[in-house]
Amino acid sequence: MSKTSSRDSSSSRNSAELIDRYLQAVRFWLPKSHRQEDLMAELGEDLRCQIEDKETELGHPLDQAEMAAILKRCGSPMMVAGRIGPQRHLIGPALFPIYEFTVKMVLLWILVPVFVIIVGPVNLANSGGDWASAVLNTFGDLWSGLFIAAGIITLVFAMIERTNVHLGAEIKWDPLKLPPVRTGERKPSPPKAVCQFGFNVFGLAWLLLLPKYPVLILGPAAALLRATPLLHTFYLPFVLLSVVALLRSGIILARPQWTWFPLLSPLLQSALVLILLNYMIEALAKTPSAYPFVVLQDAVRDSPKYFKLAGIVNLSILVSIACVWFAVCISAIVQTRVFLRHVRKRTSAASGIASVGVR
Amino acid sequence: MATGTASSEVFENLRMELRRGCLIVAVLAQLRCEQYGYTLRKALADDGLAIDEGTLYPLLRRLETQGLLVSQWREEDKRNKRFYRLSAEGELILKQLLAEWESINASLNKILQEA
Repeated sequence: MSKTSSRDSSSSRNSAELIDRYLQAVRFWLPKSHRQEDLMAELGEDLRCQIEDKETELGHPLDQAEMAAILKRCGSPMMVAGRIGPQRHLIGPALFPIYEFTVKMVLLWILVPVFVIIVGPVNLANSGGDWASAVLNTFGDLWSGLFIAAGIITLVFAMIERTNVHLGAEIKWDPLKLPPVRTGERKPSPPKAVCQFGFNVFGLAWLLLLPKYPVLILGPAAALLRATPLLHTFYLPFVLLSVVALLRSGIILARPQWTWFPLLSPLLQSALVLILLNYMIEALAKTPSAYPFVVLQDAVRDSPKYFKLAGIVNLSILVSIACVWFAVCISAIVQTRVFLRHVRKRTSAASGIASVGVR
Repeated sequence: MATGTASSEVFENLRMELRRGCLIVAVLAQLRCEQYGYTLRKALADDGLAIDEGTLYPLLRRLETQGLLVSQWREEDKRNKRFYRLSAEGELILKQLLAEWESINASLNKILQEA
């Protein structure tokens, strides 16, 4: 009799200990909140009831393996915590499309080109002609740069999510002012338009800061190089172009019902860029210097080891201009085709309506 | 084989969605009489609606926050247990939900007879 009672009390101690260990493991995965203890107490009570029921069913106190089976059926501590804890996310579904777009824009269209056009040549210049180490260094820098940029963007968006600043969620809107349905045309997505506007603001700010902080374009080489009069001459037109781009994205955002505008305005902008680039190329042809864009700072002007750096940076700017010219030419052709197709569709739709009207 | 797995996965997801709403009605209905978590789970399982701990306790919390349930920690058999019961608002909502359930059921029966 006394043996049975001592076995019973030892079993109950064991079960209490195992449940406490299990609850402690679940608690580890739960956020600290005032409800946590409450939930844990309830879960513990549930488990104790399950063990009691099982003991009644089997007619004897449960051993460790039988108790472990009950806990196993309940689920791993991490899984249970995931189910009973609050539903959490770093970036919610409302912000996620904008986050994804921003990550793509920054990583693919800003960071990668900056590394290919600027950091790569600078690394090459500093490596003393060792291509392999320059390429490896650039890839290493790019890799860490991508991670840091993605991390910062994620952090910013997570903070926006945390502070419950849901973009556009509180905006007053009128269903009657919604733009008319466009058949067969791609709808411009509002988050994309917002992001384009944001990037244009960022681009303009970057351009305006360049004269004071050349490090923004030249990186560490800014301490050694300065812009030539040619770049100074074309600085203001580039700022104006950036203002035009900002106005364009602002109009797309403010007047989504102007369906022709997102088709015609990029074409006009491309034309302006091409005109400006042509002027620049003409000016370049007239420049006798081997360093048309940047030259060495006065302090290192006579230092032969930096001649190569200046040469590479000038060459990269020249290559970038050629690439931009080529890309803008192609996009202008594509934009013209898209615009003409739009005009043709409009015309045929109008004539279709007219013919229906005549009948 | 892969199609079979995919379709069983689709079925499982749809079944879960279908059960989710029904479980709320079942929990509210069961709590017309005061019960604590484990007995509630047992009662639901006995009636064919088994629900695991990880689903039931957060659901009880949510229903309590919404004012549909009231709870109280009380000692029973020398152990502290949290007892739940339907609040006055919960009774009203349950009545409305049951009416909605009847209406959905009638509509579905009608649709199935027509088909």
